[in-house]
Amino acid sequence: MNNNRVRMLFVTLAAVLILSFAAGAAAKNPFPSKPIRIINYVAPGGLMDVTTRKFTDVASKYTDAVFVVENRTGAGGLIGAEYVLGQPADGYTIFAPTTSVVVQVVATGSDVDKYIWGFDWVSMLMKDPECIISNVKLPIHDWADIVKDAKAKGGDQIWVGPSTGGNDHLMAMKVWDKAGISAMWIPFESGPKAMAALMGGQGVAYVGNPADTTGRPDLIVCAVSSDERLPQYPDAPTFKELGVPDLDDEIMWRGFSVKKGTPPEAVAWLQDLVEKVANDPEWKTFFEEQAIEVVAYRTDEFTGIVKKNVEDAEKYFKQFGIIK
Amino acid sequence: MQDLIGLLKAAGSLMSLQPLFVLSMGTVLGILAGAMPGVSPSMGVALMVPFTYAMNPSMALVFLSAMYLAANYGGSITAVTINTPGTPSAVVTAFDGYPMAKKGRAGEALGVSLVASVVGGVVGIIVLILFSGPLARLALKFWPAEYFSLAVLGLSTIASMGGQNAMKCAISAVLGLLICTIGMDSILGVSRFTFGNVNLFDGFEFIPMLIGLLALSEVFTEVEKFNFAAESVAGSAKAKWPSLGYYWKLRMSMLRASLIGTIVGIFPGAGATIATFISYDVEKRVSRTPEEFGEGMPEGVAAAEGANSASVGGALVPMLTLGIPGSATAAVLMGALMIHNLQPGPELFVKSPEIVYTLFASLLIANIVLLILGLAGSRLWINVTRVRKEILFPLIFAFAMIGSYAVNSSMWDVMVCLGFGILGYILKRYGYPLPPLVLGVVLGEMAEVNLRRAVMMAGPTAIFQRPGSVALLVIAALSFAIPMLQARKAKQRA
Repeated sequence: MNNNRVRMLFVTLAAVLILSFAAGAAAKNPFPSKPIRIINYVAPGGLMDVTTRKFTDVASKYTDAVFVVENRTGAGGLIGAEYVLGQPADGYTIFAPTTSVVVQVVATGSDVDKYIWGFDWVSMLMKDPECIISNVKLPIHDWADIVKDAKAKGGDQIWVGPSTGGNDHLMAMKVWDKAGISAMWIPFESGPKAMAALMGGQGVAYVGNPADTTGRPDLIVCAVSSDERLPQYPDAPTFKELGVPDLDDEIMWRGFSVKKGTPPEAVAWLQDLVEKVANDPEWKTFFEEQAIEVVAYRTDEFTGIVKKNVEDAEKYFKQFGIIK
Repeated sequence: MQDLIGLLKAAGSLMSLQPLFVLSMGTVLGILAGAMPGVSPSMGVALMVPFTYAMNPSMALVFLSAMYLAANYGGSITAVTINTPGTPSAVVTAFDGYPMAKKGRAGEALGVSLVASVVGGVVGIIVLILFSGPLARLALKFWPAEYFSLAVLGLSTIASMGGQNAMKCAISAVLGLLICTIGMDSILGVSRFTFGNVNLFDGFEFIPMLIGLLALSEVFTEVEKFNFAAESVAGSAKAKWPSLGYYWKLRMSMLRASLIGTIVGIFPGAGATIATFISYDVEKRVSRTPEEFGEGMPEGVAAAEGANSASVGGALVPMLTLGIPGSATAAVLMGALMIHNLQPGPELFVKSPEIVYTLFASLLIANIVLLILGLAGSRLWINVTRVRKEILFPLIFAFAMIGSYAVNSSMWDVMVCLGFGILGYILKRYGYPLPPLVLGVVLGEMAEVNLRRAVMMAGPTAIFQRPGSVALLVIAALSFAIPMLQARKAKQRA
């Protein structure tokens, strides 16, 4: 009788132990064990939205993980960043920013430690060279003429582009600074609206990326920030050729960041996936046709680039009076 | 001629089971997306983009464009039945559609909004097919000065909104304009009245604000007046549906609305909502009984819905000819095309004309499908007006909360909706009309930003330097002054 009871107790204990081990093993299941959300800061149809949706599409070849793309727009990306920072740092909520978000944080005088360094910058996906776009239908459309006209107008020349304090505005400031000219920045609600303004002859230059000219025959790239001419745009001169120094590697990047403190295995999983996607021919051709360089930078390299973005933004926004 | 052949060919290829099924699916989903406050047409279309990855580009386009078209109509359903515009551009539909429903004429209102939508949709697409080239050049001639003057023209329509209360009407409009000043100023990046709150950086979100102002304030007002003991069965037992002759009488209203909607739709900086306000104003001025607008005039519903749906064709003009999307939904459509490796813009006509013709044909056929599905659906929607009020009001309240939350999945927007609901209720109670407030909110940013752009470009007299701008300002001045002068004359006579 007594023996029986001891045996019962032993069996029960064993069962409890086995069950708890099993539960422990389940909890230590490899990442990911539930859907991963990618938080976009742009509206549906925006550049980064198309990029993340394409990413999840291509990634499905390499993983069974389920991705959900969400758009949390507003305040130039701060709403999206704020949301991701409010979620647990478990790797199941990924933020999908571009250079513009980092630059916007500085321009709005928001908390850099929170909105930028509250994240780990884990994967940079691509480098899109910045460029100056002009309208061939206007009398002034090559770089030399733009410079001449700017000098003649003494600061009244009009450049159009998306939001004040965005990455393209920052690029415009750098160009004015390095080329020794001054001009006026007239911002529009979106890139395409600013391009429509350039097509209508409201300004002489638009700051954007080479692919902005695709499908818009009136627009040409009149100066591009890259080491050598882009094979996709052989007629577009580089700043170096045009005699403007230090503008060989101005880019708009797109990437993924996660809240600081995310477990390393979740980060490593994402970085490995990004590497696989970066080598996928469908992904590569989709972006390379737009003259975008596909990369798969990891934390160290990416963080260095973000740091440089912050420094540049602080320097030029102070110089041009956007921030104090 | 070549256009016609291409179009007929494309239409022919759509006449088989699979394309028609895809088209109908797009239409149904579009109607639902439009009808749900909180899911805008652009969001609805974007949500469906991933489902098109597996389709070929033409089918994807057929599906998404049908959805775009139907979503613009869908917004009117809730506007008419429960005074909750499902899309911003359906606000004006609610001005007369909901009073009609309250008077037991929901069948008429739903019928008119559907038929006007279809007429507007067809006219918009025909204009797109025939005149997209010259219209695109017109769109490029619109500089900030013209946009400012267009906004002023839109604002001048408050002169005809006021009726007896010109002062209260003006105060309401100014309040709307002031609300627009909240947020990050988009020219210099200065933050205004945000108190460091990130949620306020872009000002108030449009949809929660509208739902609060229109739907919640109505619920509050009705609940206050409501006699729970007396009212047991609400609404009429049998719905009346309009006859063909009824629609025929509205043909001129629908046609005017369609043309206004298409034209305003081509300007990327304007949009469907502004088009509906202008169209509504024109209809009111043309009418022999302008005082009945706002009390349930079918012409008002036709003016709003015709313009709103015609703007779809208009918004595609700059997309296909310039590569510039004319509306938020057109931008999503452009993104979807790019995912399928098609670059929207003038080269699309050269590189893949079959895609362009498929787009035209599918939009035309989608209108027919919309008419059939809409007629069937209206038999269902109308039941909403038969729900007893003590059940309906809490439902509208819940619907408003969910709709506001859905826009950004944010509790902040729910608070915004509640806040504007209370504001709307107070304003109504003291006789301040709400349409001018909505108009101010719609046009405030457009007027301010474009005026500043124009002045930066050409100095303080910028808006008088361009003929287009001056013409618009003159029309605005007349449209403002004429009702006032008429009112004075009428007074003198009396």
